[in-house]
Amino acid sequence: MGRGPDERRGVSRVILLDNEAVRALADPAHPKHRRAVSHTQVAVSRKARAVPVNIAVPTAVRVAVGWDRTLPSWAFINRLRVADIPLDPSHANAAASLRNRTRVSVADAHLGAAIRAADQVTVLTSDPRDMLVLAEGKRIEVVAL
Amino acid sequence: MVDDQVIDRINELLDSAGPETVNTSMRIPSALRDAAALAVSELNVAPSTTVLTAKALRAALEAAVMQAVLDRHYEEYPESRPTLADLAIAAAEIDGHPLADDPELISRSAAEVQQRHPDASPEDVLLWAEARTSAAA
Repeated sequence: MGRGPDERRGVSRVILLDNEAVRALADPAHPKHRRAVSHTQVAVSRKARAVPVNIAVPTAVRVAVGWDRTLPSWAFINRLRVADIPLDPSHANAAASLRNRTRVSVADAHLGAAIRAADQVTVLTSDPRDMLVLAEGKRIEVVAL
Repeated sequence: MVDDQVIDRINELLDSAGPETVNTSMRIPSALRDAAALAVSELNVAPSTTVLTAKALRAALEAAVMQAVLDRHYEEYPESRPTLADLAIAAAEIDGHPLADDPELISRSAAEVQQRHPDASPEDVLLWAEARTSAAA
């Protein structure tokens, strides 16, 4: 329980954060903070049991929410080792193509490119419907904050 | 409580892990070393025992430092500490567990499990909830 069969086989799961998930995790005063922390705690506990799981954020999402890693106000979420998914040429192409097709925001388009590139994906989001659009049919788990 | 500077330093070292390596005098049980060598050659778990060891050590350190950050956060903001029910619901949602759509059942199951097993894990709660569902079907 609590570990999908693919994770038992060593397939890595990535938990992606959208704009609101970043805000919720970073800000203790956010109404969904404890909920975002709960998912983080589950990921950390699994990591401690050698289950391959990472929490990540597309860098365009960071830009959209103003997450500057050099600012002390972001210290908590920085220390949680939420990985950056850079907007490299391959992600930029995938994101641009997705944006052309769906007219989503740049941040969401980068999120969509990250979804496409990952093996097993869970997205923490305030907008589950948008995430299904971004996934374009790929099987993903969507957690509504 | 762990100092922020220690956490930051560990994170900095983990982030700056470059190609340079060092020979260490670390002693590990010889049977563990032999098992690792066999797993590398026969099970293809990693390109080398060095890679296997470094990867496992990195994962353990990452988990430890992240837990330390959360523990500090719970001290400072006790209301941010998730309950067992919160964690069980989160675990179900992350995996797309069939019971993820029934948080009330998971919450009730967490309360029941916790009465008998105060140290129960979120996975224990989901197993209990699933057993209840199967029994009721």
